[in-house]
Amino acid sequence: MKSMSLYEEKHSFLNKLSPITKMIYVVAAILIPAFAGEKMLAVGFMIFSMLLLMHSKVIRRTFPILGVSGFVVLTVLIIQGLFRAGNETVVLDMGPVAFYKEGLLFALGIAINVFNIILCFCVLVLSTKPSDMVEELVRKGFSPRIGYVFTSLFQLIPQMTDRMSTITDAQKSRGMETEGSLMIRMKAFLPLISPVIMSSFIDTKERAIALEVRGFNAKNKKTFLNESTKIPVDNVIIIILVVGIVCSIGWRIMTWLR
Amino acid sequence: MKGKNNNSPWSLQFNTAALVLIPAAVGINYIGKLFAGVLKLPLWLDSIGTCLAACLAGPVVGAIAGAMNNLIYGLTMDPISTVYAFTQAAIGIVVGLMAYYGAMKNVKGALLTGILGGFAAVLISTPLNMIFWGGTTGNLWGDLAYAAVLSQNASTWIASTVDEIIVDVPDKIVVLLLVMGLYKNLPKSLLSLYQSNSKIESLD
Amino acid sequence: MAEIKVENLKYRYPYTEKLALDGITCEIKQGEFIGVIGKNGSGKSTFCQALTGLVPTFYRGAYGGKVFIDEIEVKNVEVDDLCQKVGIVFQNPFNQVTGSKLTVYEEIAFGLENFGIERSQMRKRIDESLALLDIAKYKDRAPFDLSGGQMQRMAIASIIAMEPEIIILDEPTSQLDPQGSEEVFQAVQKLSQKGITVIMVEHKIEKIAAYSDRVMLLDDGKLVDFDIPQKVFSRTDLEEHGVVPPTYTRIGKALNLRVSETDTYPVTLQEAEQLLAHRQE
Repeated sequence: MKSMSLYEEKHSFLNKLSPITKMIYVVAAILIPAFAGEKMLAVGFMIFSMLLLMHSKVIRRTFPILGVSGFVVLTVLIIQGLFRAGNETVVLDMGPVAFYKEGLLFALGIAINVFNIILCFCVLVLSTKPSDMVEELVRKGFSPRIGYVFTSLFQLIPQMTDRMSTITDAQKSRGMETEGSLMIRMKAFLPLISPVIMSSFIDTKERAIALEVRGFNAKNKKTFLNESTKIPVDNVIIIILVVGIVCSIGWRIMTWLR
Repeated sequence: MKGKNNNSPWSLQFNTAALVLIPAAVGINYIGKLFAGVLKLPLWLDSIGTCLAACLAGPVVGAIAGAMNNLIYGLTMDPISTVYAFTQAAIGIVVGLMAYYGAMKNVKGALLTGILGGFAAVLISTPLNMIFWGGTTGNLWGDLAYAAVLSQNASTWIASTVDEIIVDVPDKIVVLLLVMGLYKNLPKSLLSLYQSNSKIESLD
Repeated sequence: MAEIKVENLKYRYPYTEKLALDGITCEIKQGEFIGVIGKNGSGKSTFCQALTGLVPTFYRGAYGGKVFIDEIEVKNVEVDDLCQKVGIVFQNPFNQVTGSKLTVYEEIAFGLENFGIERSQMRKRIDESLALLDIAKYKDRAPFDLSGGQMQRMAIASIIAMEPEIIILDEPTSQLDPQGSEEVFQAVQKLSQKGITVIMVEHKIEKIAAYSDRVMLLDDGKLVDFDIPQKVFSRTDLEEHGVVPPTYTRIGKALNLRVSETDTYPVTLQEAEQLLAHRQE
């Protein structure tokens, strides 16, 4: 099955939770530390997310995702460590340049924030089917049409890239150059992608018709083939998370008023 | 298209044809990015689909396509890119409006649209870069400029803006020029599908 | 019981000059199997889409005349008001997959969910259409993992699950290999036997000859002929309208196997055989 989704069914606790609960968890993990202004809270959420992911046996799948941002965090570390305004205390002197404590601490803060966001997102995306996520939202009143667009992406994009590789092979066999100077490579770009762009846009007409004749615009209330999968503990978790968010907002307002 | 049937460019009443444009647009963004990578081009080229959809179906569809694009990246590869959904949405809106007012018919208009789209991206991305990354973009050339500006004792905001301009504006100009070429070559019959409010003429 | 009535139907696509449909008038009764033939650009697809209301609601353009499905005038209703009565399947099965469902079973449910069909009823209808199209064994597969023929049958099942009284098939096999085509033709025959009105555009003329109660010949947007296959395929000007008659009709002409009462030639193997046997007696 070709889908871009990172979801994996492990019959774990996270799999069983309602998508809504996990979405609120993402919001809480980002907002609570931000409102409270306390980096240690973000560290706490990070560790908690990691424990959840380990319990679900999907922690390994977070590594490539962490890697993508890890590289950027590294550049932040270098740039801020070297150049941040307010850099005073030298930690590492390397002749012409020196790393400063203030910049490095600032970069550490960024790293904590970034990795916290990544890990809480992983809790959601590694344990939840995109279609379940959308279906729960639609049940709660989200537009089913926009919901459709979102779910379809996970399968339609791989379909397009598949077709793309067929076209690329064809172009290459006709002797198109994809290596060489920048100019040659630039010139190769348009003929490579324009056939796929044209045909995708033309195909949308048929897909639109196929959807319309299956009641895509029907005005009556939708039903769902699958039942909603809420378990009792979902409610408990949601209440705790919402209380947490409200408290952190309250805390923020209090500190402003003081 | 201007003024036809008093269609507002902001109409939220888009039809199914316009809606299914969005997955195609996101797919094209994805393929553009893929090929820019394969061909080792120094540009992202990852908003061709968003811009094309905006040209065809207006700013609202452009904005949704842009936002969905980053949401999908966020949920499959790079969670942080989710927050840049706002940037992509802004590009979709700018391009959609420019196309609505007829700017995408010639090179001059496309160039202007590219510059405006690029600066819209800078406007939204820079604060996000400040919040999440301390102002850098992770792009080699942009970040070198950031470091250079910073070492002149300028503020981080200025450095970050320069960084983002280098990363976004040239890319958007190239993208919009490409899009103009593609847009002109799309069959006209396709265009009519997105104007859902157009009248049915009577032959009786 | 759904009857189709078309009165002086005219249609022109946006941004075009020529009429795609030009004064078509006809009637189709419940349960008929209608074959639609004609060269490319003769208006076959446009006619099909006019019966579903996609022309003019989806395409816009210029429209004249009337199309009735029972008492409903197509032009005055939305596509979704009609699609539980008239279903349509077209060429490319890939473009008919919604892309939002992970299994064949869920894919077929798409339309039923949109129309708010209650869950147990939904399951019953899906199981029935899976069985009818002979794809029950693939119900847990991913829609995009099916072969062309299987995917096209899934597309038909998705429409049949909505229990339409009329199903329109616009070149349903043109993108399929011979085996896939055969699977689809067998499925279509079953639908017809169930009493569903079938309207099929098809270039495989032998199939049209074998299945159709009546054949509609279109050219240049006009209805040239609408009669039993023997009559239509025996026309001397058929090739001028861009249609090559079935092999057995051509053989029949060559051997002069004419049915004198109706002044027609055979269109299928069985008919040709019968006529030959008759002559030898």
